[in-house]
Amino acid sequence: MAAEVALLLCAALLVTVIAAIFSKSMSVTVIMLFYASLVLGIVFTIYQGVVIGLVHITTFAGAMSVMLLTVVLMTGETKLELGNRTLAALLATVTVLVVAASSYSLFSATPSIPQTTVQPAPDIFSFIWMFRPWDLLILIIVFAAAMIAVANLLSQKGAHA
Amino acid sequence: MITDQTVFATTATILVFLGLFSMFYSRNLLKTIISFQIVVFGANLALFSSGLSQASNLMANTLVLLSIVVGGSVEAVGLALIVLVHRAYGTLDPWKIRRLKH
Repeated sequence: MAAEVALLLCAALLVTVIAAIFSKSMSVTVIMLFYASLVLGIVFTIYQGVVIGLVHITTFAGAMSVMLLTVVLMTGETKLELGNRTLAALLATVTVLVVAASSYSLFSATPSIPQTTVQPAPDIFSFIWMFRPWDLLILIIVFAAAMIAVANLLSQKGAHA
Repeated sequence: MITDQTVFATTATILVFLGLFSMFYSRNLLKTIISFQIVVFGANLALFSSGLSQASNLMANTLVLLSIVVGGSVEAVGLALIVLVHRAYGTLDPWKIRRLKH
């Protein structure tokens, strides 16, 4: 794949991250972070990492964005300042960049490019891919442990405050 | 000649440094968690780009998957702690929290 696609996607990623860092409104920051997660997921997906692209979008663009928004609403640390022109222009730029990168990769694809995603090649680490279900199970256990910790932290029972 | 790997590695470096900069200079714990997420993005991209030059990128994919899960878990616990800190102190400014503790 041409390096122009990588350049466009990385430019979109950097624009969204910089907007997230330097924005004064927390809601804009969370929205920009959502866009950055989406762009990074698209990068993984385009460059033959469909599984991690999917997991990345599900985790960061989905669950973490919702958690961040919930915490922002619970703590009330922001004023919702949606609808200004700067934000709209920025979103439009990011969207145009992502669409341009996706279109370029779609139209420049030749039939000789294999359509499969990740193929287990004869590699010294390919045994890890063979044990993929167990690896995924361990990752789910890690997530479950984190969620139990969150539930315990936010539980009202036994709180002394 | 610019390759995909070069572009991704450069972007990953910029992301990590942007996240660290924001983490050190932010005066809001929520912004700190967001900066941590940006650092995780950079780390994921660096790990992913390291596998692009190989014949198969299975190891890189596995490491990115692990990094995503660990980053997400740490962020979830951090957000829960932030809610507790806000309940206890009424602010998310780390300097004010330090002053209130003494």
